Amino acid sequence: MMPFGGIAARLQRDRLRAEGVGEHHNAVKYLNQDYETLKQDCIESGTLFRDPQFPAGPTALGFKELGPHSSKTRGVEWKRPSELVDDPQFIVGGATRTDICQGALGDCWLLAAIGSLTLNEELLHRVVPHGQSFQEDYAGIFHFQIWQFGEWVDVVVDDLLPTKDGELLFVHSAECTEFWSALLEKAYAKLNGCYESLSGGSTTEGFEDFTGGVAEMYDLKRAPRNMGHIIRKALERGSLLGCSIDITSAFDMEAVTFKKLVKGHAYSVTAFKDVNYRGQQEQLIRIRNPWGQVEWTGAWSDGMSFRDFMREFSRLEICNLTPDALTKDELSRWHTQVFEGTWRRGSTAGGCRNNPATFWINPQFKIKLLEEDDDPGDDEVACSFLVALMQKHRRRERRVGGDMHTIGFAVYEVPEEAQGSQNVHLKKDFFLRNQSRARSETFINLREVSNQIRLPPGEYIVVPSTFEPHKEADFILRVFTEKQSDTAELDEEISADLADEEEITEDDIEDGFKNMFQQLAGEDMEISVFELKTILNRVIARHKDLKTDGFSLDSCRNMVNLMDKDGSARLGLVEFQILWNKIRSWLTIFRQYDLDKSGTMSSYEMRMALESAGFKLNNKLHQVVVARYADAEMGVDFDNFVCCLVKLEAMFRFFHSMDRDGTGTAVMNLAEWLLLTMCG
Amino acid sequence: QYNPEPPPPRTHFTNVEAYESEEIRKFRHLFVQLAGDDMEVSATELRNILNKVLSRHQDLKTDGFSLDTCRSMVAVMDTDTNGKLGFEEFKYLWNNIKKWQCVYKRYDTNQSGTLGRAQLPAALRAAGFQLNEQFCQVIVRRYASEDGSMDFNSFISCLVRLDSMFRAFKSLDSNGNGQIKMTLEDWLQLTMYS
Repeated sequence: MMPFGGIAARLQRDRLRAEGVGEHHNAVKYLNQDYETLKQDCIESGTLFRDPQFPAGPTALGFKELGPHSSKTRGVEWKRPSELVDDPQFIVGGATRTDICQGALGDCWLLAAIGSLTLNEELLHRVVPHGQSFQEDYAGIFHFQIWQFGEWVDVVVDDLLPTKDGELLFVHSAECTEFWSALLEKAYAKLNGCYESLSGGSTTEGFEDFTGGVAEMYDLKRAPRNMGHIIRKALERGSLLGCSIDITSAFDMEAVTFKKLVKGHAYSVTAFKDVNYRGQQEQLIRIRNPWGQVEWTGAWSDGMSFRDFMREFSRLEICNLTPDALTKDELSRWHTQVFEGTWRRGSTAGGCRNNPATFWINPQFKIKLLEEDDDPGDDEVACSFLVALMQKHRRRERRVGGDMHTIGFAVYEVPEEAQGSQNVHLKKDFFLRNQSRARSETFINLREVSNQIRLPPGEYIVVPSTFEPHKEADFILRVFTEKQSDTAELDEEISADLADEEEITEDDIEDGFKNMFQQLAGEDMEISVFELKTILNRVIARHKDLKTDGFSLDSCRNMVNLMDKDGSARLGLVEFQILWNKIRSWLTIFRQYDLDKSGTMSSYEMRMALESAGFKLNNKLHQVVVARYADAEMGVDFDNFVCCLVKLEAMFRFFHSMDRDGTGTAVMNLAEWLLLTMCG
Repeated sequence: QYNPEPPPPRTHFTNVEAYESEEIRKFRHLFVQLAGDDMEVSATELRNILNKVLSRHQDLKTDGFSLDTCRSMVAVMDTDTNGKLGFEEFKYLWNNIKKWQCVYKRYDTNQSGTLGRAQLPAALRAAGFQLNEQFCQVIVRRYASEDGSMDFNSFISCLVRLDSMFRAFKSLDSNGNGQIKMTLEDWLQLTMYS
């Protein structure tokens, strides 16, 4: 949720994040709606809350199958719980696992996640804050806290629920009088745009959004050798574990096997033990059915032998919790690190390795694995870590025809010469010459792809990407390590290699140049913005190999503003000579990096060209440069190239002049700010 | 000195259709046509629409909005650096332009189609910007033509930028002490994308 208005808004948001806004105890108020205030207003005015931000109406339901005027939404009425039952309750007896039943929406994944949530009271009440009811201080308003892409969001809803023939349309509780699950679903629908955008998903998506944890998925038919070990470790870390039996047809859904296991249904794994039975070691696993009935009746019944488990079940999902969700001291914890990043066309959306020309421009993140795992049963020297890459806000794109991208990541060993350094973005050659040490199992069009990886101690980089280049999205990358480790975005240090301003006097200037200048400048020997435009375009026209639509008046104004030392808004002979020398040297660079001699530079070549002109920028700045100066085909023509460099140089110089002590930060007041930004 | 209008309330991205007036509905229709499949307006699209509208107003003197000006206007409003404006951002820009167009016409007292140097300070004030004299001169030097008069596209690009820079300062000055603090990276992002 970006606040409104330019880069400043993003910086402000980043600053708030750094102050802890978005942590669970300090959740971001979704759309700035404050639960307490809104509720108080309703109580004082004696009204029931109607959410103006998510009005109960056709657009809240959906856009296609559940869209306005669709057959499925015909006859839908929005009702408050008190209009449906006599004595509505928010939560009955602390929310039990038998509570929830699916409605007409294909969001069983969400249902299973809500179901698992009820197994852990503490986690449940992080999502469903205490103190809400239909009796005390009831005002038709409720709120929930849901994790979204790295931050906790507090979402307010009114209690108007979609019904048909007096029954709830979607999730409802088996206890017909209990409404917390239907309201939670509504809050989740609000976050994702509408109910329909919830259809189809994996339980892990729900797991993660209710816990802030990170999920892994295992196909038990192709399980790793140490599956038992992984389960044991996960339980020791307080992770949530769910297992299920795949269905092969819709007919199979919820069919019961002869040992009373229900297909297509999400079970929870709650314990894993070694027991000694008649002198034999036996591994037992305990599973629970969130329905509370229909339990496994095979050998060991309450527990199940691990061998049977592996035979009967097809899928295991583990949701690893982050330290803030784990309060019990005896649990061991993952060390967690979260990074935000973006893929942008032309600057950082490089696609996967199949695109060697652009793969290197993707964001890169470094992990330093310091210590190996303590694992008595394991003589391999290795560190375990979990990498999870999640694309943001793609569910919302569905209503405008978008959807998830296909995403994945690769892990490389950091080359010796770059070890210990944070400020290197590895370039094309590196990836041509080196193999990845690990990668995500697949590139997949899910919200998140995650894999557990084991590698010897050392420094590695993770390169997250979309499968195809030029696909734009925002993402978060989370790295969970067993032992303390260092992780950081691998990026260039921003710097400019600025030569001292040239010391030129009129005497140094060639006569030919002087004559040309005189002709243009006329008697006052100064050129205005308009004259500069004429002269530059005349010169450029002589270089047939350069593609340009000419310098615009605005670009020329920028140049004059930046070069003009005496405030006359005109350039004298010396100022013009300095500008001209710069342009000449940039022309050489431009030609050198315009590899295909197209007359424009691709935005990928731009990165190299800027570096050769002395400017090292990081990913964010490259994105900014491309967004500002490249055309729709991702090319930068010569006039834009020059404008970009003029401006970069001036902005570096301004900053250094404001940060004389070299503290790395500059302070300015409104007047200074306006002067610099309105005239730059 | 200037109190920019509060940014539009952040509305839920689906609710817009439910409550909007006939005027906004028409505007949304325009937006959908302009923005194409991705529902966002690029600098080129912005230039085309602005110049199309301008061609209907013969009384405004202008040499048309250049692509560079439009890129700059998109940049100061674009938060996620994809080089495009979404619906809310575009609406905000559009409403401002309409408002400032009225100011422009009102202060073009001799119907010359441009604002003369003498009218500029009052016009800026009427647009909501209380600027001191010195700064006014800076603006004239930067945005006006040689005789000190300002044509329509310069006027608009100047005000769009002023509005954004005031808002940027406000949002960065979160404790309201009249000073903002920034790193080199912040500074370069802010100024290079404008």
